Amino acid sequence: MKFRFEVNPSLCTGCRTCELACAFAHAQNQKPGRSRIYPLAYEPDKYVPVACLQCDDAACVKSCMFDALKRNEVTGAVELDRERCIKCMACVAACPFGCALLDDVQDEIVKCDLCGGNPACATFCPTKALAYKKI
Amino acid sequence: MVHITINGKVIKATEGEMLLSVIRRHGIEIPALCHHEAIEPTGNCRLCMVEITREEWDGWKKHVTSCLYPVEEGLIVSTHTPDVIEIRKTILDLQLANCPDSEVIQKMAEEYGIYKTSYEVVPEGDNCIMCYACTRICEVLGRSAISAVGRGHRKEIAPPFGAEPPDCIGCLACAQICPTDVIPWTDRDNTRTIWDRKFELISCKECGRQTIAREFADYLIEKRNIPREYFEICDNCKRSELARKMGEIVARAQEVAI
Amino acid sequence: MRIDSVDKLNHWREKCLKKRAAQKRKVLVCLGPGCLASGSDEILGELKKILSEKKIKGVSVESIKKTGCHGLCARGPLVVIEPEGIFYSRVKKSNVAEIVETTLEKGELVEKLLYKDPSDEQTIVDYKKIPFYARQQRISLRNVGQIDPDDIDDYIASGGYSALARALNGMKPQEVIDEISRSGLRGRGGGGFPTGRKWATCAGIDSDIRYVLCNGDEGDPGAFMDRCIMEGDPHSVLEGMIICAYAVGSREGYIYVREEYPLAVVNLQKAIDAAHERGLLGENIMGSGFTYDARISRGGGAFVCGESSALMKSVAGEIGEPRAKYIRSVVRGLHDKPTVLNNVETFATVPVIINKGGDWFASIGTETSTGTKAFSLAGKVCNTGLIEVPMGISLREIIYDIGGGIPEGREFKAVQTGGPSGGCLPADKLNLPVDFDTLTEAGSMMGSGGMIVMDNRTCMVDVARYFLNFLVSESCGKCVPCREGLYQLHGLCVKICEGKAVEESLALMERLSKVIQTASLCGLGQSGPNPFVSTVSYFRDEYLAHIRDEKCPAGICRDLITYTINDKCTGCLACIEVCPVDAITGEKKIKHVLDQEKCTQCGSCYAVCKFEAVDIE
Repeated sequence: MKFRFEVNPSLCTGCRTCELACAFAHAQNQKPGRSRIYPLAYEPDKYVPVACLQCDDAACVKSCMFDALKRNEVTGAVELDRERCIKCMACVAACPFGCALLDDVQDEIVKCDLCGGNPACATFCPTKALAYKKI
Repeated sequence: MVHITINGKVIKATEGEMLLSVIRRHGIEIPALCHHEAIEPTGNCRLCMVEITREEWDGWKKHVTSCLYPVEEGLIVSTHTPDVIEIRKTILDLQLANCPDSEVIQKMAEEYGIYKTSYEVVPEGDNCIMCYACTRICEVLGRSAISAVGRGHRKEIAPPFGAEPPDCIGCLACAQICPTDVIPWTDRDNTRTIWDRKFELISCKECGRQTIAREFADYLIEKRNIPREYFEICDNCKRSELARKMGEIVARAQEVAI
Repeated sequence: MRIDSVDKLNHWREKCLKKRAAQKRKVLVCLGPGCLASGSDEILGELKKILSEKKIKGVSVESIKKTGCHGLCARGPLVVIEPEGIFYSRVKKSNVAEIVETTLEKGELVEKLLYKDPSDEQTIVDYKKIPFYARQQRISLRNVGQIDPDDIDDYIASGGYSALARALNGMKPQEVIDEISRSGLRGRGGGGFPTGRKWATCAGIDSDIRYVLCNGDEGDPGAFMDRCIMEGDPHSVLEGMIICAYAVGSREGYIYVREEYPLAVVNLQKAIDAAHERGLLGENIMGSGFTYDARISRGGGAFVCGESSALMKSVAGEIGEPRAKYIRSVVRGLHDKPTVLNNVETFATVPVIINKGGDWFASIGTETSTGTKAFSLAGKVCNTGLIEVPMGISLREIIYDIGGGIPEGREFKAVQTGGPSGGCLPADKLNLPVDFDTLTEAGSMMGSGGMIVMDNRTCMVDVARYFLNFLVSESCGKCVPCREGLYQLHGLCVKICEGKAVEESLALMERLSKVIQTASLCGLGQSGPNPFVSTVSYFRDEYLAHIRDEKCPAGICRDLITYTINDKCTGCLACIEVCPVDAITGEKKIKHVLDQEKCTQCGSCYAVCKFEAVDIE
């Protein structure tokens, strides 16, 4: 069974619930800085949720010299193995969408891992602009 | 699948796995300074030593570094025998004499009840513990720009002939992986300095923020076949760009709808 | 001439022997390291000069034969005249003309150069009758000092390469391994691992490539057995290696020699070239279809490179550091391929075993340590030199019967076996039989065969300090217990020598030693604390004297001794002349005075005084 993470930007109201849900899921706090999803304004008051697209031929995976980024074949997410990551910033620089980044508070590379198959952002998105669907 | 006994508990493990990973996976804490998943184990720090035996060894046992010992069917492992603890204590005691200022070492030693070294503090010591993590990670990158030089107590990590390392790409992997943070480097303006060599940092075309060293990017482009343009703007600007593009799609969709 | 069959080898040997028989009179000049250092090359040059000018019946320049170490280094330079075996010792360049005139021309003896037994002042002409030689049994050293190392034909005439011929024609590889196993031969490099088992393991592994390496990285202070074999009989090492290669199915290998042995490198290279030329090395050896080639790999002289995994890394061009060996190097060695690594002496022994049989070899020595073992006898012993004795012989026999006892009538104190990481055994262990297991049990080890004798003027704390210092600087620095542990152990030992230690230090040192022994990565570290551990167990009083009374009983540790001049002083001025810091003053025939403020305790006055007028306290 395969899943896909879908973003429907036109449904986004910019409520930023996804950001809080993500931060809570990954860092057990609700500081937006811990989030792996970024509701960004493309026009004043108009938002789209930007998050890792889990590219098929992912530049981040290719750029990692230490095999710290691997695809989870079940969830489809590119996951970071923290034990192998040395924060060389190759993935951060290589990702064409800027969706792998260094969280300098936690001092670690963060990127969306689809919460291991149950993405909190999609669960809590009130307008279903974010959805995790069977394909 | 093999079965081993750790501290009296039978545990399943995959063949080829090293003892240390298995032990840690089962929540038993073992200190280690030179171990890192991204590099080959070498057994330099000796902290992860455990005692092993087998039923047929008739009480004979030996001490091995768990980071370097593959699991075997029927292995009986003890991770905290008095002998093992004595080994760890002595090693931490020695390391504390070698690098008394290292917080990492201090913390580890304190966990084993050592607050002050029993030995003479090594004069002119730095905090390098010779774990070779830096040289090993450089080897993974295929560069081997630095290496352990010299012998015994005078051994140090250095580039060839102590000069600017020609094979260094300024990726900072060595400095990042160093458990005691002893490899100095600076990023000033758009220049990175490490091992006395200067590297140009890529500046984001949009905002001017510095990202990685140009030579590291060149290396990734060549080795991993990543398009050059990916490296030209910073992650911040790339996200804004993505948002802008998505916004355009939304706008177009709305136009069509209207 | 290429030897492409066993018949041809035999034929060629006949020819070489005929040539040898035609030249009955031989003048052997020892060019071993000891004799060379005292000028034997000059003797050789002088001999050549005189013989090329003079016409003597049955003697010509052809009669001169330069050989490797003859053994009795203490008496060097040595000249031996065959067929009688006339043994001339301490020969000087100026004696050469006399030897030629008296012995070669007139057939008489040069009395003053003959060996006099120190015990009864008896003159012994034939070297084989000198106790030093008479009590030895030479297997690995069979040709050393007897043949010209540069001349492959001399080796062939002495039966060389006949074992290889026997193995290649008529023995299956497994039969070779069985023969070695039956001999009970154990690795002569120090570990004492059964050679046959090692070969069998290597042969049993499925692999396209296997290597046979020779460990010539002898680095123990005071050890020179392997050096003498490589310099004096390089072909025996090669032959052993080729036989091993045949047995395990290897096609190439290396001889790892340290750069500090330049003559060994030169002689081995000459031997390799000569063997190539004769068709005894390389493609299709002796027409048997078997191919094996060996090359020299020169080491930089790091002690740790004698350790198998470090050696293999060094051969491969990497940093010579040991790796953890949960997979043994015989399974995964050089370039990750199965590799047999044996030491020089082991390989030199192999041809004899193949020729005379494993059972014959096993009949010599003890049950668990068969055969003979070469030792280099050094230190405070009369007959320093190179010896080979059957295993199981007692230390006393080696030191007193062969070694001639302690010079200047001093008392024996300890003997250090097994190199720096071996241990010191005291007088009450003198009757111990020398074999792998007994020495280990006694807290020392066989090692590669260095044997350093110490008299009562040796301070055991100082000895431990010296060897620890050696090990600290030779530790590769990879793992913590060895690098930091030995460093601290040495530091504590220095403190004892300086009289600055407290009694608790000993307990700390003993605890530290135990951890270094169990937690170190390789053999160097694991045996590193031995100099301390063995001396502290046998000579604890001496340590305590340093710590409690701040005294060095042997009068060695500078910070704990004072020199004084007693009434025996005749006022000869000798000590005044040698004192480097002008601490002694006085006039002729008047008792001299030593200024303690200025004295640096160098001991020069003590050494030079003929009247025992300098006291150490």
